[in-house]
Formats: sequence, C-alpha cells, structure tokens
Amino acid sequence: MTRSTTISRRSLLKSGAAATTVAMVPFWAGAAQASCSTLRAGITGYNVINTLDPGQMTLIPEAYMVWGIFNCLLKFDEEMNIVPDLAESYESVSPTVLRFKLREGVKFHDGEEMTSEDVKFTFDRLRDEAFGSPHRSKFSAITEIRTPDDYTVEIETEEPFAPMLSYLTNTRTGSQIVPKHILENGSNEEFASNPVGTGPFKLVSHEPGASLELAAHGDYFEEGLPKVQTVEVPLIAEESAGVTALLGGSIDVTSTAPFADVPELEEDDRVQVLKQAGTSSRFVSLNNSVAPFDDVHFRRALSYAFDRQAMVNVVLFGEGRAANGIIPSSISWAATQETPELVTLNQEKALAELEKSKYGAGTEATVLTWGSSWWKRFAEVFVLQVNQVLGVNFTVEVSDSGTVYQRMQTGDVQASIWGWLGLVDPDEYAYEIYHTDGARNFEHYSNPEVDKLLEAARRETDLEARGALYREAEALAIEDCPVLPCFESNVHNLLAPDVDGFVQLPYSAFGAQLAAVGNC
Amino acid sequence: MPSSLKYFLTRLSGSLVTMLVGTIVVFLVMKAAPGDPALIVLGDYATDETVAAFNRKHGLDAPLMAQYLDWLGGLVRFDFGQSLSVSAGENIGDLLLYRLPNTIFVGVYAILIAVTLSLVLGTLAALNRGTTVDTSATSLAVLGVSMPDFWFGYMLILGLSIGLGWFPSYGFTPPSDSLAGAFYSGFLPALAIAAPMAAVFTRTLRTALIENLDREHVMVAKAMGHSGRFRFLHHVFRNSLIPYITVVGLQIRYLLGGVVIIERIFGINGVGSLMVEAAFARDFFVVQACAVVFLGIVLAVNYVVDLICAMLDPRRVR
Amino acid sequence: MKLKHFLHNRTALAGLTITTLFLLAVFFGPMLSKWSSNQHDFMNALQPPSWAHPFGTDSLGRDVITRVLEGARISLLISVSGVFAAMVFGITAGLYSGFHGGWMDVIVMRVVDLLFAFPAFVLALFLMVALGYGVTNVALAIMLVYLPIFARITRNMTETVRNDAYVQAAQVMGQGTPRILFREILPNISAPILVQATIAVAFGIVIESGLSFIGLGVQPPTPSLGVIMADGQEYFRRSPWVLTLSGLSVTVALLGLNLLGDGIRDLSDPRLKVRE
Repeated sequence: MTRSTTISRRSLLKSGAAATTVAMVPFWAGAAQASCSTLRAGITGYNVINTLDPGQMTLIPEAYMVWGIFNCLLKFDEEMNIVPDLAESYESVSPTVLRFKLREGVKFHDGEEMTSEDVKFTFDRLRDEAFGSPHRSKFSAITEIRTPDDYTVEIETEEPFAPMLSYLTNTRTGSQIVPKHILENGSNEEFASNPVGTGPFKLVSHEPGASLELAAHGDYFEEGLPKVQTVEVPLIAEESAGVTALLGGSIDVTSTAPFADVPELEEDDRVQVLKQAGTSSRFVSLNNSVAPFDDVHFRRALSYAFDRQAMVNVVLFGEGRAANGIIPSSISWAATQETPELVTLNQEKALAELEKSKYGAGTEATVLTWGSSWWKRFAEVFVLQVNQVLGVNFTVEVSDSGTVYQRMQTGDVQASIWGWLGLVDPDEYAYEIYHTDGARNFEHYSNPEVDKLLEAARRETDLEARGALYREAEALAIEDCPVLPCFESNVHNLLAPDVDGFVQLPYSAFGAQLAAVGNC
Repeated sequence: MPSSLKYFLTRLSGSLVTMLVGTIVVFLVMKAAPGDPALIVLGDYATDETVAAFNRKHGLDAPLMAQYLDWLGGLVRFDFGQSLSVSAGENIGDLLLYRLPNTIFVGVYAILIAVTLSLVLGTLAALNRGTTVDTSATSLAVLGVSMPDFWFGYMLILGLSIGLGWFPSYGFTPPSDSLAGAFYSGFLPALAIAAPMAAVFTRTLRTALIENLDREHVMVAKAMGHSGRFRFLHHVFRNSLIPYITVVGLQIRYLLGGVVIIERIFGINGVGSLMVEAAFARDFFVVQACAVVFLGIVLAVNYVVDLICAMLDPRRVR
Repeated sequence: MKLKHFLHNRTALAGLTITTLFLLAVFFGPMLSKWSSNQHDFMNALQPPSWAHPFGTDSLGRDVITRVLEGARISLLISVSGVFAAMVFGITAGLYSGFHGGWMDVIVMRVVDLLFAFPAFVLALFLMVALGYGVTNVALAIMLVYLPIFARITRNMTETVRNDAYVQAAQVMGQGTPRILFREILPNISAPILVQATIAVAFGIVIESGLSFIGLGVQPPTPSLGVIMADGQEYFRRSPWVLTLSGLSVTVALLGLNLLGDGIRDLSDPRLKVRE
C-alpha cells in the first residue's frame, strides 16, 4: 500500500504533454508526495467514445465524460434525491408547467454566461427531428419552453409528464445544457469533438481509442471545485488490465472492475473497492421481426430454457442478482417484485412452448455480443443452456459495442446481448424498450395494451400509482418475451488507497464524481 | 551508370511497383467486402437521401477507377480519408501519425532484443558445436518458435508482472513522452515479439557460422598467421552476416504480424491495435489504411536489407 | 531417406514421437474422456487442476483438457486444410513458372512478392474483414499466407533441376509437360517442400489461435485452441491455469511439428539451411 513512487511518476507525466496514455512507473523511482494535481481516472472495459455531444451520446463511456464537462438543471445527490444543479430552485406551477430559477453567473468554458436562452436552445435542439437525437422521445412531451427573463425557464407539457424531473438530471438523458452562442451557427459535428459546457472540467484533448485529457474549469460555479487541476482518462478496453494498471500505480481510479477479481481485490490493501447494486438491466434482445424470434412461443420457450441465477454465478461470479424484469430492482417502487414464472428455468414448459412454436429443435440463430470480458461469456452461457434444453443450434458472434449497437439500430441482427446501466427512471427502461414508439425498442415489439399502460404511467404523477402501472405493463410484456431479462450487475470502482472524495452512486456516476476527488 | 546505382534503382522501382499493385489489390478487396459503409455509419438514419449524401461526401459515388485514383492521390500525401466508425469522422492520417511511432518503437525494440539474444546464443552454439552448450541453445531456439507469441506474452505477465511485480502488465508510455518510460513499459511486449524471432536468428547464425568456419579462406588465413580472434571476427563473421541479415529482413513479415496481437494485449496504441479495433467496427477505410501502412513498412525494410547486403557483398549487385 | 536413418536422428525421432502422441491424443483422447467439450457444470466452474480434471475447469465448468483436445482437432484441421490448399496451388504455380520461365514466371513471382510483402498476420486479419469470420475463412487466410512460400520454393527448386539429365531424358522421350513436372521433377524436390509443409501446419495453428484469440476467427461455443485461450485470458488473474495449460499444449504440439520438420531437413539434405 506504499505510494513511494509518486513524484517521479508525476514528473514523467509532465514531460508528456497531452498525448500520454497510461504512464508507467519505472522501478527505480523513489520519493513521496501527499496530494495531487493530476488525477488519472481510467475508463475500463470500454474504449469507444464516438461523441461528446450530450444530445447524441448513447454509450456509457460517452456519458462518463459528458457528466464531467456539462451540467443539467438538476442532479442526484448522494442519497439519490433529485436536487438543483444549474437551477437554483424549481417549482411545479401547475400539473403541466415546471418553473426553474437559474443560478446567476454560471460560465461556459469559453467565458460566456449561461442563461435561460441556452436552456431553451438545448431542449429545442433535442426535440428537433433534424438533429436526430436518440433522446428525442424523452422530450417530445414538451409543448413550449418560455424564458420570461434571463434566469427563469418554464417548461410546459401537454399533459402531466411524470418522468420529466428525472430526465432533467445529469444522467444519461442527454439534457445537459449546451451553449446556444456556439451551436446556433456552429456545426454539431465540430461540437461533438470539441464540447463546451458549464461543467467542472473542460476537454483538452481526445485521442480516439486511447485517452482523453480534461482540465479544471477555473470559473466553475461550485466553490472549491474541482479539486484537481488535470484529469487524464486512459481508455482501457480490458477490465483486467485496468486492475493491473491500478495496482501498478499507473492510474488512480477505474470506472469498473472485473467481476472475477472482486473478492480477491477486496482483500488487497493496495486498493479500495467500492461496490453496490447497480441500476442496471442486462438482457437478451430478440429481434421480434425476424425468424425465428417472430414467434411468441419460440421466445417463451427460450425464456423458460435458461437458469438466470447460474448466469449470475458464472458470468458475474456472483456480483449481481437475477432479474425479475427489465426495470431494475433498485427502482423499487416500479420494479416487478415477484419473479414471474416466465423468467425462471422450467424445462418442461420450455419444451411445451417449443412444441407449440413453428420452429423446432435444430433451429439456427446467431447471438451477437461484444467485447472480450463477461459480455462474451454472457452470450456463451445463454447459448449453451438453450442449445442443451431446447436442442436448438444457436451460435455466438463477437463484435465491438459500437457495432452491436449500430446493428441493433438497423435491425441487422437476430438476437444480441445488451443492457443498460445508469438509466434512472423506469420510463427509460419500460417505455423506451417496450413501447411501440420507444426510442430503444430495437426488438420491434408492439402491444397496444402495453403501450396504453406506459402512456398512462407517464401522465401519472402519484409515485405509487405510477409504479403500479409500470408493473402492470411489464407483466403483460413479459408474457410476450420481446426481450429476455437476465440479471442486474453490481457497479464497482477501484480506487488507489489515498484517493478520497469519490462517491459512487448506483447509476455508476463516474465522470460526475471526479470534481470532488481531492487526494490521489 | 555504375552498376551499383543501377541495382539500387532497379530494386527501388521493383518495390514501388509491388506497392502500387498492393494498393490496387487492397482497394479492390475492400470494395468487394460485404457491407455498405454508408449503412454501417448511418444505421437508423439511412434513407436514400442520407445514403446518397454520405456517398457524395466520401466520394463513393464516383466510378471505381476515379475512386481508386483519388484514394491513391491521398496516400501520397499521407491522407487516408476519414474514419467511418472506429473513431467516426477523425482523419485517419492523424490516427496513424499518433500510433505509428509506437509501433515502430516496439518493433525496433523487439528486433534489438532478438538480435542481441541471437548473436550471443548463435555464436556460443557455433563455437561449441556438438557440446551441451550447442544442444541447449538449439533446443531453446526450437522452443522459441513453438510458442504462440501472445501466449508467451501472458506467461511473461504471469511471471514478471503479476508474480514478481517488476514490469507493468498493461499500458505503454509513448517514446515521445519519455524514452526511458517507453523502454521500460515496452520491455515485456518487445520480449514477447522477440522470442520467436530470436530463435530463428540463432539458428540461422549458427548454421552460417559453422559453414563459414569450415571454409577454405579461413584455412588460408590461418596459414598466413593471423591471430585466431581476428580471423574469426573478420572473415567468418562478415561472411555469415549476409544470410543473417537476409533472415532478419524476411522476419519483418512475421514480426509485424506479432505486433498486432501483442499491442492489443499490452494496451499499446499502435497501428496493429488500431487495425484490430477497426476490424471489429467494420471500419473499412481504417483497415485498408493500416494494411497499406504495413505493406509500406515491409517493403521499405526489405529494400534497406537489400542495400546492406549489397554493401557487404558487392558481387550481389552484378 | 531410409527409415533406419530417420530413427537414428534424435531430432526427427523426438519430433515424430511428440507429433504421433499429439495426433493420437487429439483423435482418440476425447473418446476416453468422460466429459464432452461443451458439457457445462455451473456448480464446478473454475476448479483448479485435479485428478478428475487434469487441466481444471473453465468459467462454465467445462473440462479444459477435453476442450483442448477437441479444440486442437479443429485447429489442426483448419490449419491442415489451409496448408494443403496452399500446397496444391503454390506447387502447381511454382512448377510451371520454374520450368517455363518467361512472362508467366514474372507474373507468378510478382504475385508472390506482393503476398510476401504483407505481414502474415496482417494479411490474415485483412482477409477476415473482407471475407467475414468463421472456420472456412480462417483456412482460406492460412492458404493465402502460405501460398507464396510454396510457390517460391517450388519455383526455385524447379529452376535448379530443370536442366538435369533425367528431366532432359524425359523431354527427349516426348513426355508431356504435366507428366514431367509432377512425375519427374516433383518427387525430386519434395523434401524441402515437406519440411515447409510441416512447419506451415505449425504456424497455421498459431494463425488460427491468434485470430480466434482476438475474437475474429472461430466463434464460440465451437472450441478451437484460440477460443479456449481467449476464454482463459478473461479470468487469467483468478484462474491462470486455463490459459497457461491450453497454451502449453499448443507449444508442445508445435514443438513436435517443428522438430519433425528439422529432422526431415537434416536427413534429406544436410546442406539445406534454416532460412525461415
């Protein structure tokens, strides 16, 4: 747990300018130092960042960075309560109108002040069909945005829209406030690689597939933040490599930890392990519009044909829990409470459903997965089990996350292993995946009754009643098995022993927490 | 024209022709590959109009010949166009420029290790022909070529990184940041790449030295009374160097292949790891750019090796 | 090359023994095992080596040694078919261009030079992108990597023997070109080709494992040596035996093939030197 090599590592880095990836400590290095100016926060398990435009981001590593570069009107505090961020306060003027009082004197990275015009611009841009934001449907309920003065914003929806407050938080919803003065005439493409926000950090450089460098935003509105001057963010595709980098002193924080290594790391005093149940949902996405997944009996047969607890044990090495549905159990007021029969292993029923299906044993299909870590094993465990129970002949195809997501979007896929982490509202899981017009309904699933319930849930402002509607909708959807919910995984961060100030939230608040890290 | 100059020019034009044909083949194969770049990139937003606009932007609506010439014209200026998916919109030339020095550093480092190891082992084996030293050296050499380099890389990690903690198992400091850091962090990957090469070099050197030790002019030199050491160095070594260097040149082809996986395992941002990522992301433009870069490196190295051999043995030139 | 000589050459004998044992294990071993390569047992995942599982079990509780043997068979078949195809085309091209010379020789050698100028693994990787992943395409990639080697060796050997007495005699007797090439010349130059073939099969296995290791070759759950090693790499820290022992098996198998190749070379022509 000694950190005797700090100084020379730092000076090594200093000589390195912007392009440093993971810097290494020579074994001959010596001397010690307490606090730090450069935090090295590795994004582990991913190395694809296609855009840093909040309106376009979809992948979690993109969100990790966007969270540190931008702010939203609201955010989650350490107890997961919604609290003001760029807004100073907010109130519900009527069931359909929210009024926000903005902080004064908030500066973008280029020194311009953030005003209500920027807020209005942000939401108009998200709602603009031509912009093609993946988050558009979340904000399509908005009918008007009024800016009575520079520091007041009113958001009006046609009907009461319950998820709105969650959608205005600094999470994966894309509602981070962007500068009107830059984007009004500037190009979106340019902004995606040179983002300008109000957040604690500004982007210095981005070496695609390799690393990013952030620098403190001197005019940041929160007193005393960020605590570090520079953040280096190596993109480390292999999670296990992130562990060795941390143990070897080349990085201070990781965004994930390999499930297999967690028990061993918890015993290791060279590292702090933060972990908790994550707001996540991992599932097998079935393309309901192509054979053989266009047959509900075949999908049900699959759902009966594998053991989810075994998946947790084998894929996550126990670091998670079997799912009841796609709404994560940590959103307890909306999640399905009792495990539905269709989400459990039952070989007899599986074969009975297969009997009713127009496809039989020997049916072939390809299950697309990605990466080299547990995602691949996830696919393999699924395929092995259904092949054994049903006698079907499924195979696995491995690709990268960007390609899998693209192929899901284009429908160029039969089945794929997928999941979401860090979405905070049940609407983001249930509506966006189960609803006919859901933004992430890549399954091409459509059930009018489910649609109706999900729409009602959006209008329902009473939390308990709203939760009941989601449960009802999910119960119906599960009968159709458009996706096969599998498990929820824990979120982990590994920290070097001296790092403090990093607060882990169940949605894996990586980039959002870097500002508060003092010692590293 | 002096015959040496003529030789160099002939060889140069030969390499250039191979390079040119290579670019044509790479281009055509990529064109024939399944998958439409426009659909890969546009995905959900692919309509007839957006596809047409995409193709216009990337010059994909021109006739094949024009597309090729356009691409070739770019290559000469180190302009490979834009990445499709691996880092969308990024200039491929910039991606390569950042990564090429890392690949070259690790490659040269590996050759240095392989050459050093083989000079020691090969000479020892040849001078002690038939003894235990010889048997050990040759056995080690066979073992060296039999290990998959990436597996050996992991064994090095297991032993020297996880076990003894001497070296980092992942990550690479670019030589532009710190030369010492690059040598240190690049040691394990370079050693993994070097092992099979060192084995081949050792065998070559041993055979060549043994053959030359038996040669007549060594006998003559002996008769003339040179000291044994001088004789060994001057005649034997010089004559053995040509097959040795030729093999070093030929091995570049395997060396650069090894770089691809090793870069990925050790997290080196090089051209090899870029090519693998582009292959996953079906980024045709980046894959073909990487292929051309590797082609260029191999041809350049082979050319230099030929020049060195010609200088060592002027008879070759004629 | 007599059998007696062969058996007296230590290198050749060692190579032959290892290779034979390897082949026997690969083709008959799985029959003796009480497990099958895809038989999973989630309760027994990642068990260290024991009497029941000499190589331990993998993350899905499958018996690693059974998978290695099964995977070795698949890798071997891929490599052998790739190398065989490379021999068929490479030798034919080499014989004709070495015998006739002229423009055909120029073209064949240009193609060979071109293929030679690509790093072996880069060429394979490039082809996987162009052709798509999977067993057949891996074999195809191996073929294209080795085709130039066989073509060049055959051509150079043919050129050296084409003026030999027996070739000229055959020509005088009015034998057709194919007959001269395949019946007269080929048997006389077969030793170096055989040496190359042995070594090529070994490296073909390396190429297959490499491609599958990074996920661009054979796809799971089909076991191949590369697929097994890729799986072991994921939990390498926790259970290093899966990658270590499967890779060790590959090394031993390749050692056998390489020794065999060396042995044949020593016996067939002591003057033939190590070049590749």
